[in-house]
Amino acid sequence: MELTRIWLTLLALTAATTALAFVPGPAAAAALLAVAFLKARAILGGFLHLGRGSGWRAAFTVPLAIWLALVWGLHVI
Amino acid sequence: MRVQDLPGEPIMWVLIASELLVFAAGITAMAGVRLTDPAGFAAAQAQLHGWMAALNTAILVSSGFCAALAERACHRGDGRRARIGLALAALGGAAFLAVKVVEYAGDLRAGLGMESHPFFTFYYLLTGFHAAHVLFGIGVLALVAIRLRPEEVQAGAAFWHMVDLVWVLILPPVYLLG
Repeated sequence: MELTRIWLTLLALTAATTALAFVPGPAAAAALLAVAFLKARAILGGFLHLGRGSGWRAAFTVPLAIWLALVWGLHVI
Repeated sequence: MRVQDLPGEPIMWVLIASELLVFAAGITAMAGVRLTDPAGFAAAQAQLHGWMAALNTAILVSSGFCAALAERACHRGDGRRARIGLALAALGGAAFLAVKVVEYAGDLRAGLGMESHPFFTFYYLLTGFHAAHVLFGIGVLALVAIRLRPEEVQAGAAFWHMVDLVWVLILPPVYLLG
């Protein structure tokens, strides 16, 4: 059930990505990257079993968030 | 935060982290080069078929779901379900590659080669390198399905999820951020 929930979440986030792709502007770009981050977090936590408590999930997601912010920054310059 | 808290083999996580770094470096380089010609990059990117990338995302996350189900079934000792899950995951990978071939063929027919514009150099390098990982991953899934040992199935599924993870990070900068 948990795996199904993660899969459906990923499909919903993919649909959100598709919808956001038609919206121009820096805010939409930030939203697209935020959705990518949510998908990555779902895969890391749900499919790759990186538990919240161990700190390993944050070890992956924090640098990932910083990098996505950098990509956004380079995009809007 | 201890190494033993990582699920599966630590070496698998070294691989996952290094692959993420390689693709992140490529995407960052693309974003940096884009600064020299934002309008050209946007025009080049607009020629891609974003819907095919969206379709491939749905295929790949569904394939990852099958790999996750296979991993769970294997841990429960249900070899039949594990093999079915791995086969469906591999089939998803094959479907992903089929869509990619159609996409590349359309791009090339339209005259969009690797040297058409710097954007397309990054596009073919990033998505082509990722497609090579998908192809390799299908082989990994087939191999772990033969012996069906839980720790090997977990490692194979982890590789597959890494391929999935890289794709969701490639998607916006390559296809969508115009």
